[in-house]
Parts: sequence; structure tokens; C-alpha cells
Amino acid sequence: MSKTLKINKNPEQGVIDFLSFLLENKKIKGVFSLKKIDKEGSVAYSLITSQKDLEDAVPFYPLMPVNAGKLLSRFTLNGPPADLVAAVVKPCELRGFVELIKREQGSLDNLLIISSTCNGVYPTKLGLDKTVEKNLSKYWTAAKKGEILEEVRPVCKSCEEFVPYNADITVDIVGNNDLDKQCLMCLNSKKAEELSKGMKGDFSDKQIDSKKIDKIREKRGAEKKKLFNEIEKKMNGIEGLIDIFGKCISCHGCSKVCPICYCVLCEFESSDSDYKPSNYEAELKIKPGVRVPQGTLYYHLGRLSHIGISCVACGACDDVCPVDIPVSMIFKKVGESVQKMFDYIPGKNLEEKIPLITFEKEEFSEYED
Amino acid sequence: MKKDKEFMPKILAFLCNWCSYAGADLAGTSRLKYPPSILPIRVMCSSRVDPIFVIRAYLGGVDGVLIAGCHPGDCHYQEGNYYTRRRFAMLKKVFEETGLDKDRLLLSWVSASEGQKYAKITTDFTNKIKNLGENSSKDKIFL
Amino acid sequence: MSNLKGAIVSAKSGTEKTIIDILRKAMDKGVFDAVMVPMKVPAGDAFAYVLVKDKNLLTDASVLPPTMFVQGAKAVSSITRLGKGKMKIAAVMRPCEARATIEIAKLGQVDLENMIIISIDCPGVLPSSDFLKNPEKKIKQFYEAANKMDDTIMRPVCQICDKSSMISGDIHIGTLGAKKDTFFMISNTKKGEKIAESLGINLKDNLDNWQNKVKTISEEKHKKRKKAHKELKAKIGGINNLVETFSHCINCHNCMRVCPVCICRLCYFDSDKVKHPSDDYLDRAKSKGSIRFLPDTTLFHIGRMMHMSVSCVSCGACEDACSMSIPVAQIFSMISDETQGLFNYVSGRSLEEPIPIVTYKEEELHQVEDENE
Repeated sequence: MSKTLKINKNPEQGVIDFLSFLLENKKIKGVFSLKKIDKEGSVAYSLITSQKDLEDAVPFYPLMPVNAGKLLSRFTLNGPPADLVAAVVKPCELRGFVELIKREQGSLDNLLIISSTCNGVYPTKLGLDKTVEKNLSKYWTAAKKGEILEEVRPVCKSCEEFVPYNADITVDIVGNNDLDKQCLMCLNSKKAEELSKGMKGDFSDKQIDSKKIDKIREKRGAEKKKLFNEIEKKMNGIEGLIDIFGKCISCHGCSKVCPICYCVLCEFESSDSDYKPSNYEAELKIKPGVRVPQGTLYYHLGRLSHIGISCVACGACDDVCPVDIPVSMIFKKVGESVQKMFDYIPGKNLEEKIPLITFEKEEFSEYED
Repeated sequence: MKKDKEFMPKILAFLCNWCSYAGADLAGTSRLKYPPSILPIRVMCSSRVDPIFVIRAYLGGVDGVLIAGCHPGDCHYQEGNYYTRRRFAMLKKVFEETGLDKDRLLLSWVSASEGQKYAKITTDFTNKIKNLGENSSKDKIFL
Repeated sequence: MSNLKGAIVSAKSGTEKTIIDILRKAMDKGVFDAVMVPMKVPAGDAFAYVLVKDKNLLTDASVLPPTMFVQGAKAVSSITRLGKGKMKIAAVMRPCEARATIEIAKLGQVDLENMIIISIDCPGVLPSSDFLKNPEKKIKQFYEAANKMDDTIMRPVCQICDKSSMISGDIHIGTLGAKKDTFFMISNTKKGEKIAESLGINLKDNLDNWQNKVKTISEEKHKKRKKAHKELKAKIGGINNLVETFSHCINCHNCMRVCPVCICRLCYFDSDKVKHPSDDYLDRAKSKGSIRFLPDTTLFHIGRMMHMSVSCVSCGACEDACSMSIPVAQIFSMISDETQGLFNYVSGRSLEEPIPIVTYKEEELHQVEDENE
């Protein structure tokens, strides 16, 4: 049974105290966390090395300007840090990071991963004015009760994977009635237990209530069913896809912010996807006109087939889309159906190979002729 | 130019060099009949086929796509066709979820000696596609 | 602009319809084999460029749509970057899109041989996010505003654009200063002249009414532009203001990717050059107590300015694509005026004018050298 450490402050303050303790005692060299970066209160991920700057950290702020898994991959791309660095990330960001590690795009070495059960994030645009700040207490009240907030990302409302996998420390947030004055940190690994020695707080064997988690997961599942039904109605064949993606401007922002899309030169931006005049001339022989630049649906369907297997449904794609296409719900739905075929949950198990690079000798005979 | 004759589908066939392409050749040299719907593309192994080839072909208007390789266990490169099978299953699921015609995709194992099988599956597939009709992507402008 | 020749064209059925008719006639006569023109998408919530071969499709075309979802130069480049085809294609675009096309032709991204660039006096274009709130209503609003020459609902950079009638392509449609139910068809190149001839359009009319109206409006806009730039510079100038302006930037690089003149397949700022080892980042963090991660947001923007501002056409595509509502276009447009002004250069004004940073004069710019030289 892994131990738990209880600090009698709210989760943000508790974690900051813990990280400050680790920094002060030189047990870690730095902290990766959301932080208020200016007087206006703009929030961005930061690499923090001083205890003073740590005071401005907001580790569980309900915004995800960038998927932190992608950032951790960039941080460890050229090798892990020489000394321990703590990182506070959300469950889907951690899963994204694990999927990237499977693709040799990063490493968990010398990282102390702190995560929490998650009640979702607001669309990034709401962080531009004071909307998120103004709604913070409403957010935390809903988190305390395990209720779904109307204003968070659609993929958050319907997220059933809100309990982190592979975290050294999990903080109990969603459905925790004592949230205002209790930071309950589950020490999942030996590393976490070792580092916590000497920290002021109550150590016990208390665990996160799994029944409570199951109830919340049910609610999320019901919301997922609803949102899936809505998007399914729109995805009715080629006409449906043309309608959904008609306003796409091929900016490829969705791919650039996606944690799983890591290719430096994307297939759909490479010379493979260039259209020569002969391509146009051939197409115009069979149809009266072609939309240019070409390849809008090709890009989206192609991206679905390439990364759908690992989509962690974080919703970063939705927020970056300049024309408000519901990319995240489409990828979540199609991604989940592909993942279910292989009983695969992306980012859950670091040792589990990505289904498309492994096989069974006998399987899927229903797909063979 | 669309003719007013009976619809002869265009079916792109990815054939692996060692088994199914040879099998197709055998069908030819044995003078076995099969419809002129097939546009063969030789690949060294069926696992060379990236799903995006199929998507591009489908959006380009081909009426059907066939991927044929060695029987599982007989792949010239040991394991290629196992990956093909998984990738194909995944692609079919993507088509299903997005409402595209998943029945226009076919995976078949044809060995170098199976000229008859090649003739049969291509004939059956062509008839199936004929029943499905032309791929409506052909006249879509805003793809 | 001295080789401009024009004709007054009668447009009783409306300017757009008449232009479409002319395009149709040109296709009939084989003057063009295809036309690249904006069309409304089936869902009705956007306009996209379509390469049209069947002239019957032109009935649904819109020569001056309310939005510019994709910069026209990017659309032209996707057709002809890998060389000219057999088809003669006429592309109908806004002046900034035409200028961008000419500019990237100098960068090897467009083969102009079989392309005919047609532009039209531009009243501005709506920000995409506004349009998407209510497409049907916004289409109406756009045309009403355009008719009244009211640019308050257009992109911020459109509101201070003094080049909305600048001609850089082969043919230009001049609506300003034209009498009721007419417009000017103006040729700028020999290619343009030949086309007008083959359509039976006699380029012998006086363009003074158009040129005078354009001059008046452009001078007015220029004053407004200078004022706006002065205010913007005060607002974002200096390292503190710059960092604050870009504080919300999430490094998605949408601005760079939708920019017509940002043509690098692999941008420097996406390359290995900006991917450092973890301990480098930690050292940087140690020196200040903390750093944003990923750092170098401001570097990306200033760097992009360095790389492309001499080619910026102030179209505003970047600001539309920014997911965090940063006024990128206004900032880049202001800087570009200065950098282009340094060389008396206007991006895309003429195909013959080399881009300033790939050419030089042996005696010039002494003002930036050390005075002891």
C-alpha cells in the first residue's frame, strides 16, 4: 500500500509548500509548473529554480495553454536533466508525454511527476480576459463536488481518464470535500516516498476513494455519450466531412499543438503532398473544379489514421483552431474506437507497445477476405 | 469522359512483390478472366501501404482499394503482413466512424501460386463495387 | 504605373455579375482554360478558392468575398509552385493577395508564365472570427459596408490600408470613381493588354476619375496609418511592452504558417536549432529564478520580422489565425512599413524589383555604418 501525505492547505498551496521544501533541501533542481508570469496574471508553463519565483506558481490552474506533455518532451528530447526536476502536469498531458516517450521523444528519467485527478480546463481564449480568474471559486466548488462544469473544454466534460497513470504523486482533487484545507498527496513511487521524508505533514495509508471516482466517471461517461451522439450526426460520410471541414484553412495548427504529432516535417507538409500541375489537370478532367489549396480532408483523415491510436483527447487542437472546427471531439471519438479495437489506453502503460507496431499471429480475421 | 456504358469501377490494387503480384501475374499467364477494373501497384511488401495512400486514392475518386499480401506467416520479410492487417483494421474503423464507405476497402492474402484466387477475389470485389456504385468523391469540389 | 491602360465597362447587372460574365466569355474563347476564384463552401460558413474548369460553376463564384480564409497567394502557389501547367489560369484576388503572389514569385514559389493575376479595388475584409459568429448576417453587413466605403467592421489592418487599389498583377478592376453601373478594366502588363484585346475590350478610356479617387482615398488612409502606427509603437515599444504583448502567445506558429510570404518548408524556429538540452534550459532558469517554458516567444516574433518584414503585404492573415487574439498583423505591418521604407521598396509592387535583402548597391545606407568609416 503506498503512503499518503496530507498537508493542511488547499492543493495548490500544499504542493507549492512541498516543492519549496524540495528546492530548499536541494532534493530537486527545478520545478516545471503553470505560473503567473506577469502583473496581468497571464498564466504560462515555466521552469522555476528559485523558491521566490515558486510563490507565483499556480500548479492546478484550470488552463492548458500548451499540452505540457509536449513541453516535457522538448525538455528531455536531448536527454534527461542531470539532476531531479519536479513537474506538475494534468493527467492527459502525462499520457501524452508517455505516448511520446514510446516514440523516443523524451524520457521520464530524473523527473518527479506530480499530477492530480482533474476536473477539466477552460478553453484557452477564456484566459485572455479575466474570465478564468473571476470563475476560479466556481471552478473549485465544482471540482470539490466532482461536478461537470459547462464552460470547460468538451473533451474535459466527457473525460473518463481523469485519474493520472504513471505519476509519482497524485493529488486528490475531484470530489474531495475537504479541498479548501486539504492537500492529499498519494505517494505512488519509492522516489516520491524518499523525497517526502522530512516534509511537514500527516503521513498515513489513506487512499483516494475509488467508489467516488467511479461515480464521477459514470457522469463523465454519460456526457461523453451525449457529445459523441452530436458529433456522430455530423460525421455522415463525405458530405458530412465536407461540411465540418469546409472552413478549414489548412493552417495545421491542430497538428502543431498536438502532443502526439511530433514529426519535424509532417507528411502533409512534405513534398509528398505537393500537387503538380499534372495533378490538377487530371482532377479537372473528372470534376468541374477543385478547391485550392488541395488536400484539406486528406490531411484530417490522414492525421486520424496516423495518430488516432494515441490521441489522449486533451483538446489543445480545438483551442488553436482559428475557425472553431470541433477537431478534438472528432479525434476523441474516432481515436477511442480505434484504441478499443486493441484494448489500448494511450499513455496508461509505458511498457505497452503502440498497437500498430506489434501484432498477434492470429487476430482480426474478420478483416481479411 | 464518362461513358454511358455499364459502370466499370476503378479499383486500385496494392500487390506485394513476392506473393500477390506474382499471383496476379500467374492469373494473367494462365489466361484466367477477371474484370479490367484493377489498377495494380506493386509494393515490395503489403506493409509498405500507408493508410494515407488509401485515403488519398479514395478521396481522388477510385471506387475501391484492394491490398493483397502474402499469407500471415509467409511474409517475405517475416512480419510485414501482420502489421498490414492491424493497419487495415484500424483504417476500416476510421472509415466506419467517419461514415465513409468501408466496404470499398478489401484486404486479401494471395500467394504466388494462387492465380485462381486472385481472379476470383478481383471478380467478386468488382461486382461488389458495381453494386455500391460510383464513389461520390469523384464529383466533390471541396475536398 | 505609367503603362496603365483602361476601359470603362458597362455593368448594368452589377459589378460582380459582369466580371463573372467576362470570365465566362474568356473561358469560352479559350483566353483562359481555368479560373481561380472564391466560392462559398457547401455549408455556407466560409469562402474558399476553387480552381474552376467548368464555366457553369462560375455562377456560384464571388469575386470579392467577405472573408479571406486562405491568402490568395498561398492558393496560387499550391497550383503553380512546381512549375507551369498546360492550362492558362486567371486568378481573381484582392490587391494584397496579388502583391503577395508577385512577391513570392520572386522567391521561386509561383510560376507566372501561365497565370494571369486579376485584382479588384478592395474595401477591406472581415475578421474570420467575426464572420463565423453569423455567416449569413455578416455577408449582408459586408456588402452594405463596402458600398458605403465604411471599413469599421473590417480587419484592423484593412482599416489603415493605403494600398487597397495598388496594381501589381496583369489586370485590375477599378470600382472607385466609376460612374453608376460601370467599372474600369485596367491593364498593367502586356499580358493584360492582350487579354483585354482578345475579349474585345478597347483600352482607350481615360482613367483620371479612378486615379484621382484612388489618390484621395489612399492619402487619407495613409494619414490614418501613420497615426495608428505611432500609437501602436508607443503601446508595444520597448522590451517590457513587447514581452507583455506576446505574453499570451502559445507558440502555435499559426501566424507563420498562414503567412503568404513565410515560405520555408521547415522554419528555423521549428528546427533543431531551437531544441536545446534540458540542462541548458535549467541554467537559463537559474540565472533568472524562472523562465517561461518553452522560452524565446519574443525571439520567434522578432526573428520572423527580421526574416520576412521586407516582404510583408499587410494582409492580416496572421492576426486572423492567431488563437490568442494577439495583434500580430498590426505589429508586423508597422515594422514592415519601416523596413521596406528603408529601401524605398514596396512588397510585390513589381516583379522586376528585387527583394532588398538579396541585392545591394555599393554605396548606400551610410547612416547605419559607424561614423568613422
